[in-house]
Amino acid sequence: MSTGKALQQSVMQQPEPGNSPKAGGRLARLFRTENMMLAPAIIVLASITIFPFFYLIYASFMNYALAIDDPTFAGLRNWVRLFKDPAVAHSWKVTLIYAVAGLALELVLGVGMALLLYSTPWGRNIFVTLWMLPIFVAPVVAGLLGWFLLNSSYGLYAWILQLLGLNIDIFGNASTALPAVILIDVWEWTPLITLIVLSGLQSLPTEPLEAAEVDGASYWQKLRYVILPLSARIIVVALLIRSMDIMRFIDKIFITTAGGPADSTKIIGMRLFEVAFRFMDIGYAAAIGLSMLFVTILLGQAFVKVMYGR
Amino acid sequence: MAGKQLLTRKLIARVFIYTALTIAMVWALMPIVWMVLSSLKTQAGMFSMPPKFIFKPTFSTYAFMFNEGNFGLFLKNSVIASLSSTFIALVLGTLGGYALARGNYKGAKHIAFWIISTRMTPIAAAIVPLYLIFAKFHLMGTALGLVIAYTTFNLPFALWMMMTFFAELPPDMEHAAMVDGATKFQAFYKIALPQVAPGLVATGILCLMFAWNDFAFASVFTSHKTQTIPVAVSLLVSQTGIAWGQAMATGTVIILPMLVAGLAVRKYLVRGLSMGAIK
Repeated sequence: MSTGKALQQSVMQQPEPGNSPKAGGRLARLFRTENMMLAPAIIVLASITIFPFFYLIYASFMNYALAIDDPTFAGLRNWVRLFKDPAVAHSWKVTLIYAVAGLALELVLGVGMALLLYSTPWGRNIFVTLWMLPIFVAPVVAGLLGWFLLNSSYGLYAWILQLLGLNIDIFGNASTALPAVILIDVWEWTPLITLIVLSGLQSLPTEPLEAAEVDGASYWQKLRYVILPLSARIIVVALLIRSMDIMRFIDKIFITTAGGPADSTKIIGMRLFEVAFRFMDIGYAAAIGLSMLFVTILLGQAFVKVMYGR
Repeated sequence: MAGKQLLTRKLIARVFIYTALTIAMVWALMPIVWMVLSSLKTQAGMFSMPPKFIFKPTFSTYAFMFNEGNFGLFLKNSVIASLSSTFIALVLGTLGGYALARGNYKGAKHIAFWIISTRMTPIAAAIVPLYLIFAKFHLMGTALGLVIAYTTFNLPFALWMMMTFFAELPPDMEHAAMVDGATKFQAFYKIALPQVAPGLVATGILCLMFAWNDFAFASVFTSHKTQTIPVAVSLLVSQTGIAWGQAMATGTVIILPMLVAGLAVRKYLVRGLSMGAIK
């Protein structure tokens, strides 16, 4: 968001590189067609994102005692609390576990599935189509389905687990609730990793693979020394996108465990929700929100770097 | 001998591939299939143990939802909010995207960074300031508030996607038209726009999907009158008893249109979900 100003400057002041020879004066350049076409989008986007961004910073220095109308100045109180609060530290830890475990599983399964589909001789298209369906499921419905299937008294998957001798209340147990919500995320988003890696595989240059084949390389050697190094950039892009998404959404956890039991699934976004709308401590929620935004911005920067730089 | 060995290995590889694929498909599709099946069962039949896969389907849950409940209203709210925000994002995003692609603006990297971090802002973090602003301007519980909230992520998305589509178009035909006397805007409207029509449709469907699937924004910004179906489904669950039959039927109504629409633009799916980083 900080680059908004830079963008506006470049929009408003950039001299046109010579494709309108007789255009005299700054005014004509300012009102050139491109600027007039870009202005509505930039104005709307700025007013619904940059303005709220500064409002968020303002709110993080205020104290909203239940009523949101008359906040009092809180100084650095919310910020000091943010760094001292063991509950927030715990939520960041849960977020990290959720992200790392989820992404690791999605990466391994997603790449594995892409390689499998890549070498499928017949019906690849149908299998890819079926495999991608979970992507379209609303996250809140994905959470609901996980809950329904794993419900200990009538869930289909819980029933299968019971046949295998595992009789536990999955979402009611601190040690199993987090793995369960991670698996729901894995169910929905592994296919995206597969699609991304598969599209990369299909556009790989054929020469290195052919050269490896001529040299008598085995499947695993080709995978290790040709396919994976060539797809590295795509895999990094996929991981960055998914990390930002994990920061973005709370729907699955909201509907299944709401962060419980015993805070075992309370990722940072869920914590913010609770601070803001259950404890009505908007100022503190704003500080938490800015810390989340900070992480997203770091990830976004890395993403743009990977996208533009080689 | 060697040839036979090779053939056996190939056969083993194929058996392995199709076995693994079958397991993967069951894992991916079972929850969806089970939801649709459950929505077609009677309330008693839903909970029978062992679970039943073959039964006489009934549409009574759907009939009940549409006739007795407010489901029709929630559905309408969802359609209005997601269509409006998609429309705004597409119009502004197409105009702006073309300008970004053709305007020779410097600092494309900065623009990219700004648009992408706006698009990826955590919903929870965006909710706080919007909540305060909406409360001030009396937008809480209104459809307009929800449309604004959805536009915060759909507009940067549309702007960025349309820019990538226009940037891929060779500008020669537009230049030729301008030599023949067309204005820049006519060149955009008559020459460039028709060529990116598939990209425009794909961008629109993805915007629609992001808004339609939203739960967090709607759960805070809507009232009973403006509630969308993802919120409705969550309320079926959080109230004392869980109306699983209705929850499964509502879930089915939420996902079926998106399955159809999503598959229709599957060619652009990776591109859309990776913010154009992967084509």
